[in-house]
Order: sequence, then C-alpha cells, then structure tokens
Amino acid sequence: MKFDVMLTGVGGEGVLTTQVMIARAANIEGHYVRGVQLHGLAQRGGVIPTFIRFGSEKEVSSPGIMQANADLILAFEALEAVRATYYARKEKTTFVINDYPLVPIYASLFNIPYPTMSEIVRRIKPFAKQIHVFRTSHLGREKFGSAIFGNTILVGIVTGLGLLPLKADSLREAIKVTAPREMENNIKAFELGLQLGKEKRSARRVT
Amino acid sequence: MDVLEEPGKKVVLLGNEAIVRGALEAGVGFVAAYPGTPSSEVPMTFSRIAKKVGLYFEYSSNEKVAFEAATGAAWSGVRAMTSQKHFGLNVAADSIPPVAYTGVRAGFVVMVADDPSAWSSAQTEQDTRYYARMFKMPMLEPSNPQECLDYTKLAFDISEEFEIPVFLRTTTKITHSIGTVRLGEMKKPKIRGRFQKDPDKYYNLKPHLQVLHERVNEKLKQIEEKYGQKLNTVFPGEGKIGIITSGVSFEYAKEALLELGLKPPIAKIVLTHPISKSFVSNFIKDKEAVLVLEELEPILENFVEQIAKEANPNLVIHGKDLLPKSDEYNLERVIPALEKIFGKKLGIDFNDHKKKVDSASKNLTPRKPVLCPGCPHRSTFYAVKKVFGDEAIYAGDIGCYILGALDPINMQDFIVSMGAGIGVSHGIGIVSDQDVVAFVGDSTFFHAAMPAILNYRFNNAGKTPLVVVLDNAITAMTGHQPHPGSGFTGMGEKVEPVKIEDVVRALGAEVKVSNAFSQKQLIQALQELKSIKGPKVLVSRGGCRLLTRRQFHAKGLAIPIFQIDQEKCTKCGICTNDFACPAIVKATVEPRGETVYSINPDICLGCAVCMQICPEGAIHIAKREGEK
Ligand SMILES: Cc1ncc(C[n+]2csc(CCOP(=O)(O)OP(=O)(O)O)c2C)c(N)n1
Ligand code: SF4
Ligand code: SF4
Repeated sequence: MKFDVMLTGVGGEGVLTTQVMIARAANIEGHYVRGVQLHGLAQRGGVIPTFIRFGSEKEVSSPGIMQANADLILAFEALEAVRATYYARKEKTTFVINDYPLVPIYASLFNIPYPTMSEIVRRIKPFAKQIHVFRTSHLGREKFGSAIFGNTILVGIVTGLGLLPLKADSLREAIKVTAPREMENNIKAFELGLQLGKEKRSARRVT
Repeated sequence: MDVLEEPGKKVVLLGNEAIVRGALEAGVGFVAAYPGTPSSEVPMTFSRIAKKVGLYFEYSSNEKVAFEAATGAAWSGVRAMTSQKHFGLNVAADSIPPVAYTGVRAGFVVMVADDPSAWSSAQTEQDTRYYARMFKMPMLEPSNPQECLDYTKLAFDISEEFEIPVFLRTTTKITHSIGTVRLGEMKKPKIRGRFQKDPDKYYNLKPHLQVLHERVNEKLKQIEEKYGQKLNTVFPGEGKIGIITSGVSFEYAKEALLELGLKPPIAKIVLTHPISKSFVSNFIKDKEAVLVLEELEPILENFVEQIAKEANPNLVIHGKDLLPKSDEYNLERVIPALEKIFGKKLGIDFNDHKKKVDSASKNLTPRKPVLCPGCPHRSTFYAVKKVFGDEAIYAGDIGCYILGALDPINMQDFIVSMGAGIGVSHGIGIVSDQDVVAFVGDSTFFHAAMPAILNYRFNNAGKTPLVVVLDNAITAMTGHQPHPGSGFTGMGEKVEPVKIEDVVRALGAEVKVSNAFSQKQLIQALQELKSIKGPKVLVSRGGCRLLTRRQFHAKGLAIPIFQIDQEKCTKCGICTNDFACPAIVKATVEPRGETVYSINPDICLGCAVCMQICPEGAIHIAKREGEK
C-alpha cells in the first residue's frame, strides 16, 4: 500500500506543522512514512510544496512524490492549487482547496490579476478526479480567532470526506503532540472539519 | 519531543533531527555550529535539548570557529560534532586538513549538507565530496533519516577507532526529508576532558609533518579495508546490468525500479571516501553495463571507470551521459535514464504532462519569496533608494535581505558569499567613481564582515563605499538563531549583547545608528553619511518582525495592525508597487470593477512604515478583532 499526499501553500501558513501532524498520525497507524519539507527562501512568503507519503516500506522510499502521482492534494492557498497540477492526474488525484487568496505582490506589480475561484477550478479540472472547495481560513478566523486554524479544519474535512485513509483518532492523537500550546482549539477545529466533511460526504455534493 | 523518545520506539524524524539523535546515541558531549540551511535544524535541535540532555552546545560566530572549538573538545577526549551547509565548509576549510593529519582523541563528526537545486541557497551547487579527498578524511553518506541516525552514530565510532575526524555528508532531500526512524539507546554524554601534550600527535612541522601525512594515508587504507565491505551493500538482482549509487539517489533508484518492475543488482556505497576498490571491482567484474546514480559531480562514476580498466575493461559505464551534473535528481529524472538502459517503458510521458501543466499555469500570477510584511529590511532598502537612487551600485549579501534582489527593490546587484559585498565594493570604489552601498546583516557582520571594514580603514583609498548593517538582532534567514549581538546563547543563557556600532568604531569607521522603522531617521542618517569621506557605516536597527510577532504571541499580546482609509486613498499605488509590503493588496471589487487598496489583517505585522510612505496620510492604525 502506498498513499501520496501533497500539501501546498505559502510560507508562514503553517503548512509544515500540518505535515508533521499527518505524518505522526500515519506513524501511529504503523505505516512507514517518508516525505519532504522544502524551506529556506520559501519561508518568506514563497510557495511551499510539501509531501507526506505512507504505506509499506517496500513501496515508499523517494522523499518526493512522482510527477502526476499524488492521491490527494491539499491546497492551503487557492492559487497554489494550480501550480500543484504538476503532481496530479485525472484518474488519480483529488484536490481539496482552501478558498483563501494570498495575493502575491506581483499581481499588482506586473498587473497579472489573481484568478477567480472558478478560473482556478477550470484550470485544475483536467488534472483532477474530484475538486472540493472550502473556506477554512475564514472559518478558522471566525471560530477560533486566527486563519491558521483553517489548516486543522481542512485536515478534519478530508478525514470526514474519507479522502485521507487515516483514522480520526490517530489524527486527534497527533494533534495533541504536534500543537500542544493551541491543543484545545486545534482539536475543536479538527472536529468541526470532520463534521463538515462527513456532512458533505453524506450529501454527496461533489463539485 | 520525538528526538528524545524512548529506545525501541518508531517515530517520524526530519533527517537533521535523526542526525542529532544519532549523535546522542553516540554520547556526544560538545557541539558547536554556525547555522546554514539545509543543515540548520541540527544546531536548532541541539539548542532545544542541550540543557535537558546535559551536553554543551554553542552557536559559534562562524563555521571556522565552530570547527576549531569542536576540535579542542575532541582533542581533550570529549566526543564532538560540528555542522554546516556546504559553503560553511569553505569557511572552516582552512582549519580542517591539519586536524585530519594530527587526528583526534575522542570521536569527532563534521556534518555537512549540500544543496543540489539550491532550495535553500544562492551562490553555487558545490559538491563537498571533493573535500573528503582533498583533506584526507573518511566520508559517510546516509540515504534517509534512519540512516542519518545509524551512520552518525557509526561515524563517531570510526572516528574514535582511527583517531580521525569523519565527514557525514548529506543533501537537502535527506536533511529536509522525513522518515520513520527506530530509536536506539542514548548514551550519557561525557562533557569533561583534559588536553594532554603530545608532540608526536600534534607537532606538524617538517619533518614530523611527513610522518603525520603518512599516518593519515595509512588510516585511510585501514578504514577502506575494515569498512569498505561492511558499510557498502550489494542488493542482489537479475541480469548483467547493475546500478551503483549512494545518498538520496539510492532512494530514487529503489522506487523507480519498483515502478518499472525491474530487479537489477544494486551496489549502494555509504563510505564514499575512501571508496573500497575491492567492493567496486567485485560488483562490476561480471557486469556488462552499470548506471552510476549520484547527484552533482561524477565522483563515483570516475572511480568506477578507473577500477574498470583492470576489473572489467569492456564494461559500459553510464551516468552523466544520461543525467545532468547540475540541479538535483528525482523520480522523473531517474526513470527515463533507467528506461533507456533497460529498454522498458513506464508508460508515463513526463514531458507531455509537463507541457499540459505549463499550459494550465499560463499567465498565472507568479509567486516568489518576499521579505515578510513589516520586515525592517524593506524599510531600510526604501530609504537607501530614496537617498542613493537607481544609479548607485548595491552590493548584496546572504541573509533575508537577499530578497532585495527581486522586484520592486532590485538592490542586490551581486551576491558572492557572506561578507563579500563589502570586500568587492572596496575594489569597485578604488577603480571607479560610482556610489557604492554594501548591505550586510548583523549575523553576517560578526561572521565575516569585520576584516573587510578594517581593510577600508587600513587601505583608505578611492571612494569608500557606505556599509549598511541591517541589524535585526538575530540570524533570521536560517531560522532565528542568536549571534553575538542577540543577548543570549545557544543554551539560552543571557549574555551582554555586543553592539555593532562599538565594533565599527574600534575598526576605525564613522558610524551612525538609526531606527529601521523610521523613514525620517534613516534618510537623515544616510544623507549625513553620504557626505563623509572615508570608512562609514550605518547601523539600521529594527527587530525581525516575524520574531517580534512570535514574542508578542507568547506574551498573549496583540500586534497592532494598520488600515487604509478609503476616503483618503487616491490609488497612487506607491504602497504596493514601490514599497510592496505583501500585506497590502490591490484588488478589483465587483460589481463596479473598482480598484481598492486594502491591508490583509491576517498578515499585517504592524511595522507602521506604510503609514510613513503614504503621501496622502491614508494609512492608520486599526484594531485587530479577536487577535490571540
Ligand atoms: C558560509 C555560509 N554560512 C552560512 C550560510 C547560511 N546563511 C545564509 S544567510 C545567513 C545569515 C543571515 O543572518 P543575517 O546576516 O543576520 O541576516 P538576516 O537573515 O537576519 O536578515 C546564513 C547563516 C551561508 N550562506 N554561507
Ligand atoms: S503596517 Fe503597513 S507596511 Fe507594516 S506590515 Fe502592516 S501593511 Fe505592511
Ligand atoms: S524573517 Fe524577519 S528579517 Fe527575515 S524577511 Fe521576515 S521579518 Fe524580515
């Protein structure tokens, strides 16, 4: 068994913490885990493509995912979902996008406007089995006082939707060790996401 | 923390964390390092746990000093370690070979991280494996976090057994990769020792120098004999074509072969210096062809070529004929090379997919790294450009301010190495009449800039450049490590911070200090300094804003945020196009298609500089709702 998750977003959004969270949950379930974080310059508002791979030790060894081979792509920033298509293909990849634009300074500097959400979805479609869009950063700010909780909400959503083959309990346990300072809110954020995911799953409303 | 988990447990660690755990299992007692990504999490992890574990850790002022300190400990019988990125090894390089000759008493591991593809560097893609050959030191190369742990531990043993410092060489996709790691027993560190005088060991003047030189040659020979077979592995397989590989390339080879359904024999080399001749020759002697998979330089490949002359002259050797010498490898690069050699297809057209991706991303708003919202460097750059204009030459350096190389700042005309902007500017100032401004960070100032400023004073000729020290009180770029001006050490002890202006005065230059967040102060200081002849330095002081925010959060305080008054805003675009704080967003608002400038409250870090540069006075402080 092998499952390839890609997280993408912008430096400072908490993508790396989310990677550690999911990796720990996979470890709790006894999977062999690989992955890579790419920081450095990217910490300063650049793109952070991040991978988590889990499954059997025999099948998983490269730290990065092969082109066109991600099972699941979580985009914490909407625009970056488009650049992640490099790792996606129609038969295999599900996109879950946080509708939260962090407009790069180049939008105004070079006059290349930030695309609308429907434009983003249109560009991704040829590479996606399914596309789900949520506004988790807004929800995070609204419910827990900071957009950063949107990440944990999103992880809850994909778990609820059944898109991340890990148990909710493993993720709860991973959250506790990964974010001890903000544990309470993170657990609440996860439960909220889980609920939203389950509801959407039962309603079978797939965009 | 996972690094300190119980033995026997399986945890997920970053390669750099696994290296720390390996060192702890080897009982390391002394660690000194200067940060450099992709090695930075090694010292950062040590810094976090040193007190708890009871070992000594320091952030040294540069890599050379760190290496020397660790040498002193290893010479005195305490297991020691130093870590750095590839360029750091260039800085330490002067002190390393004599220590390889004299040898050590306790185990001494020199960890170095290369950065193929330059994920965390500018400058070059140097391959430090050459250093092992030049300096006559053994080199071990892990492939994944588990091996990071195992081989760090083993490197200490080899070092102590043969009394020689040992390199542990990694690359970004190893140190920054995560992986499942099984933990072993930690050893209580020995932290006290004694230096014993021993001319036979340390006296490296002629003719004893040649004795030491022969000794190190002999040690390498013995290491090759003892560990050449033990450390390198052959994974048996089918057919007459073999793979020879090391480091992260092994991980790619393994997975790529599985994808392609191929099972050729693989020789994995962990001890990449000295490479075992018998190991390689045994592997290649019955093969028709081999593919050597290694990133950057064809070091293994050249070695195989040399051995093949005797062991198997008809062997066809592939490597850099199919794969690049620059950039990094990955599955998409390795698979086509295997496809060619084995004549088997995976059925994915990587190029075709790439074309489709490019067309889907056409005209997409680009995103590049930028200085954080509220960064003091942006404010300093803005003021310097106001005073010196577009024509002045702006010497760059390597810190967060390297991002000043990008639009719209464009004030890093060249970047050589840490501290080099000041040195290069000296030459430009002497042969030309151009205005030159050399930027340098505070950590970089202590690391490498002081001799260059001293040289301005000593050889006070031509038009002396203005040095601008961007003093944000921390080594920000590599993850906020303290330096001599920060006021605390790697062990978290408070110390009196060294003031850069005091050092500059002692070096013999004029100095002015300005608040980095005050455009008025900056411009006044810059104008005054501009008219001064001779060595001159502006210290632009303002804390790293990202760190300030963290400190605010830790104290439960809210950082102030700013807002644009839509009534007053004339949409001139200065705040986005010239100043370019990423928190300020220009957007078109439907339904009327009106352009609106606003500040994103999630990312504004409240530096108040946009308020100063807005010609309409349209920006003012706002209250952040629900701020935690
Ligand atoms: C010889 C060498 N060592 C380490 C590094 C890694 N590195 C890049 S920038 C930097 C220091 C940045 O600190 P500072 O000068 O204070 O600037 P800041 O990032 O805080 O703005 C370091 C250590 C390097 N590029 N070269
Ligand atoms: S105060 Fe202005 S310049 Fe400073 S971070 Fe906020 S928006 Fe950016
Ligand atoms: S980390 Fe600090 S110094 Fe670096 S860009 Fe951000 S605010 Fe500026």
